[in-house]
Amino acid sequence: MPVEVRNLSHIYDAGGPFAFRALEDVSFRIADGEFVAVIGHTGSGKSTLVQHLNGLSKPTSGTVFVGNLNLSDKNTSLKEVRKKVGLVFQYPEYQLFEETVKADIGFGPKNLGLDAEEINDRVREAMELTELDYAELAEKSPFELSGGQKRRVAIAGVLAMEPDILILDEPAAGLDPAGRDNILSLIKKWHESGKTIIMVSHSMDDVADLAQHILVMNHGKLEMEGTPEEIFSKGQRLQEIGLGVPAVTALAMRLNALGFALPSNLYRMEDMEQALLHALKGGKHV
Amino acid sequence: MREMTIGQFFPGTSFVHRLDPRTKLLIMLAYIVLVFLVKGFVGYGVLAVFLLAACLSAKVKIGYLLKTIKPIIVIVFITFVLNLFFTEGETPWLSLGPVKIYPEGVRFAVMMALRLIFLLMGTSLLTLTTSPMALTDALERLLKPLNKLHFPVHELSMMMTIALRFIPTLMEETDKIMKAQAARGADFDTGNLIDKAKAMLPLLVPLFVSAFRRADDLALAMEARCYHGGDRRTRMKELHYAKIDGIAAALTLLATLGIVAERIFL
Repeated sequence: MPVEVRNLSHIYDAGGPFAFRALEDVSFRIADGEFVAVIGHTGSGKSTLVQHLNGLSKPTSGTVFVGNLNLSDKNTSLKEVRKKVGLVFQYPEYQLFEETVKADIGFGPKNLGLDAEEINDRVREAMELTELDYAELAEKSPFELSGGQKRRVAIAGVLAMEPDILILDEPAAGLDPAGRDNILSLIKKWHESGKTIIMVSHSMDDVADLAQHILVMNHGKLEMEGTPEEIFSKGQRLQEIGLGVPAVTALAMRLNALGFALPSNLYRMEDMEQALLHALKGGKHV
Repeated sequence: MREMTIGQFFPGTSFVHRLDPRTKLLIMLAYIVLVFLVKGFVGYGVLAVFLLAACLSAKVKIGYLLKTIKPIIVIVFITFVLNLFFTEGETPWLSLGPVKIYPEGVRFAVMMALRLIFLLMGTSLLTLTTSPMALTDALERLLKPLNKLHFPVHELSMMMTIALRFIPTLMEETDKIMKAQAARGADFDTGNLIDKAKAMLPLLVPLFVSAFRRADDLALAMEARCYHGGDRRTRMKELHYAKIDGIAAALTLLATLGIVAERIFL
């Protein structure tokens, strides 16, 4: 299910004393099954942008299409939209509220009006997808779990609605390295199983390994759009707008400054390894 | 949520903004007493002039001040209707069976509605022009004599400061949790009263959990910085009365005289 955003602008508190333009004339298209990363520094409008994709925020002007649903149209059923587009907020564990893990994950499916059996199936499936042991955890209180587990329960709550498009706002924020790797590898798996993934992040390293398509936000505008090669080859511009480049790209930039002639679009560890071996063996180093 | 106007503060440098917060608090106290002393429309006239002058010199738009009444409009309406029907007089204006409306009732209902409106507009003007910090500071200073009676003045004002400080934070949090639950298909708007109350649960539980978490964190952070209550604590901003405070006090006195005169002579 493709997503199409055309000339989207959003102004908070329009006309009020604290009016703030969060998005300005943003247009892009996301194809079915893509892994898209939205990057930008704090306050660049990335969270506001993704909230438009499932109708939580309404455009001040412009249109948002998800498949053939027009989200700017008042008559579009928001329930329908939210069934198709799942949004996992930043620190989603703060939204847990039920007495048991099972009931919390089942909250979304219950709101969709499914029957008890279907809800149960979906909860099991969502827990499997997030590598949570049903037998051990289903009846526990979500407040007893570890940080990483809580986060996965919260994400399972969205997965249980079986959205075609899954949006994750900083899914790895605040987790330890092991928790981060775990979440990112799970997201990779969901993408491979056919979901469209939209991941908001400010960590270039998280994005570099996974994304096929990158949107760079800066002051509410879409600053750059393209494949990781295209984006990371503009390392200088990224640094100018307050964003870093992946560690691998940074290393390549520094080596090139020292006289190496590595390609400018390196961002993956494996490619770096190859390029370095090639450069060193080929004796191109001066 | 963004529509909330009660208790909002607009920073500025006007005459009213520059007044010592203690002066403003005392004037507010006098103003509240005056609102209850007023006997007739002449008195409200005096109060209206006073409020209008304060509003103009504070550079607050009158429309904005009027908007602050919105949240209590229902209460004003109920007060008006109750007083209209239940105040008895001599000759009824209108009588529909057991329901009688007397001219005294109309007069009293209007007076009561005006009283509420004047109370809210006055207090709103205070919070619009005085930061919560300044207000609690002023309260602490004014209540200081109570310290001698072992009344925990500093602790009380610290609690108020913290409570006020966290209102916007909690509102933001509410907004965020509402959106997160709405993304999971929660519906806060439709259904009957019981449905709506039930729908609040996914909002309230996380909100309470996070409020307690914040409280714990704050207590730890305060202890880590050696906070130990009010004894011998110095402050960054000392309060000083200035000439403009005298002017404001004189103007308030004038309004008070007007209303006392109304009470005695009219």
